Amino acid sequence: MVVLGFDIGSRAVKVVLFENENYKKSIVFDTFDFYKNYCTYIEGKIFVDFDKLALGKADRIVSTGYGRNNINIDGAEAITELKAHTFGAVWQTGLSDFTLLDVGGQDSKVMDIKNKKINDMILNDKCAASCGRYLENMAKVIGLSVGEVSNYSQNPVDLSSTCAVFAESELIGKISEGYTAEVLAASINYSLFKKIKPLIERFPAENIVVTGGVAANNALLDFIKKETDFKNVIVPKYPQLNGALGCCVYAGMNSTINLK
Amino acid sequence: MKKIGFTTSIPVEIIYAAGMIPVDLNNVFVTAESPQKNVEYAENAGFPRNTCAWIKGIYSSTVNCEDIDTVIGVVEGDCSNAKALMEVLELKGIKTIPFSYPGSDTLEKLDLEIRKLCEFFNVTLDECIKVKDELDEIRKKLVYLDELTWKYNKATGFENHLWQVSSSDFNSDYKAFSNDITNLINEIEARDEKKNKIRLGYIGVPPIYTDLYDFVEEKDARIVYNEVQRQFTMADSIGIRDLVKTYSSFTYPYSLSGRLKDIKKHIELRNIDAIIHYTQSFCFRGIEDIVIRKELGVPILTVEGDKPGNLDARTKLRIEAFIEMLK
Repeated sequence: MVVLGFDIGSRAVKVVLFENENYKKSIVFDTFDFYKNYCTYIEGKIFVDFDKLALGKADRIVSTGYGRNNINIDGAEAITELKAHTFGAVWQTGLSDFTLLDVGGQDSKVMDIKNKKINDMILNDKCAASCGRYLENMAKVIGLSVGEVSNYSQNPVDLSSTCAVFAESELIGKISEGYTAEVLAASINYSLFKKIKPLIERFPAENIVVTGGVAANNALLDFIKKETDFKNVIVPKYPQLNGALGCCVYAGMNSTINLK
Repeated sequence: MKKIGFTTSIPVEIIYAAGMIPVDLNNVFVTAESPQKNVEYAENAGFPRNTCAWIKGIYSSTVNCEDIDTVIGVVEGDCSNAKALMEVLELKGIKTIPFSYPGSDTLEKLDLEIRKLCEFFNVTLDECIKVKDELDEIRKKLVYLDELTWKYNKATGFENHLWQVSSSDFNSDYKAFSNDITNLINEIEARDEKKNKIRLGYIGVPPIYTDLYDFVEEKDARIVYNEVQRQFTMADSIGIRDLVKTYSSFTYPYSLSGRLKDIKKHIELRNIDAIIHYTQSFCFRGIEDIVIRKELGVPILTVEGDKPGNLDARTKLRIEAFIEMLK
């Protein structure tokens, strides 16, 4: 059985292909590029152009992400991101009980997973200062790429703004005070961590699994290790694909993988 | 007839007894063509962005309403923002009448408050009780509408919310309200029973969102209990010919413990699976969430609303995931 999992995020669209419950391949599109080049608009509705995607024929399609209810994928079932991420993380790590942190392009989700099921969950405040978009904007201000920023965690200075937009102005202020790019990068990462910390500390556990594009931010992982009580900070093999993987796992649930 | 605005449920019998028209300003705000414009209008007048949208909406609804020049402000028992709102309205030439739901020595002090209000409107308590007798007949219909929701599974969560919340002023015309609700009940009675998988209770102030109830029902759940809206109907005091007793058993403006007792009773009675606790952004009631979470023995989703309009994507996701979690 060929299964396609779509995670339609705000910055990237992740597509994973499972064959007989095994991971085969994946593609990551820029969200705007995906809408522009792989979707067609018919009577105000958005349809995915599968011929262009060239992924072959799927037996089952499951979608998630903020776009799941807006994009029409023929025959697809839409599930919530929380569900998809839970299935994905359980499948990727083999763990049953853990705290799951997913930091995506425009939101952060924290789930308390008990016995492979969502026990409780919390999302970031409406402010975007706890997600990937914040890192992108802040990196731009100091002229670095998101990848470059993610490596610095030493000697951060305090960026106290609760608002992502005000934080940018605050960062500009710090530049004029003469801080180095390294310190400023560490400060950006630390301010992201400070927004996420109270969310993850709601659900104490031995293991925390970090997924989403921002799982590639080493500084964030360092701060979690140093400044929280989680014993193990685990980044699975495909952090960014976790939601799309979860869709594939969900599709196969009725056969051999029994998660719920 | 003269219109009298008010900021939250007050003994509406007094206004009707005085031959005047009660107007719940919250309803004027939220049913306006563009409620958000009301919020922006108040912000332009200087209301801080980090204050409750209801307060801002009430302000704009009042100053932009040509035929309201008198407002009863509930300055104790609701929130301290209402106190400041009264000051600003006075500045705008609106006559304000403070009304308090006392935090202690309730019966004695509430008696005084009600007498003061009667004196202002030049009515006797007897005249008010006569009105109460008439309103109680309508309240019985509201109780039945509520039963059509939780007992007979016919009325929607939104109908339950709308009609009960409207009983703060009976849509400014209780006789028309009575006819309208009778017609609605006839229509609902003819429906087939519709059972949803999950039965939810809604607690906290009425939502600023317009599509919450419909969204929940799309997900095969139904709100079968609206705590504060039900309190507005004074359903627990039907037949009690005493305004002080009636408005002292109105749980909303008093201590949280009274509200919790009421909520627990209905969770059991209505066989409720989980609770949605709604709080308004920047409201002190958000702090009460700590106690509520500890005291109620069912799963709770806290939803915070800020601006009027439809549910935002993030809140939708949370509600959807919460319902999924319960299934």
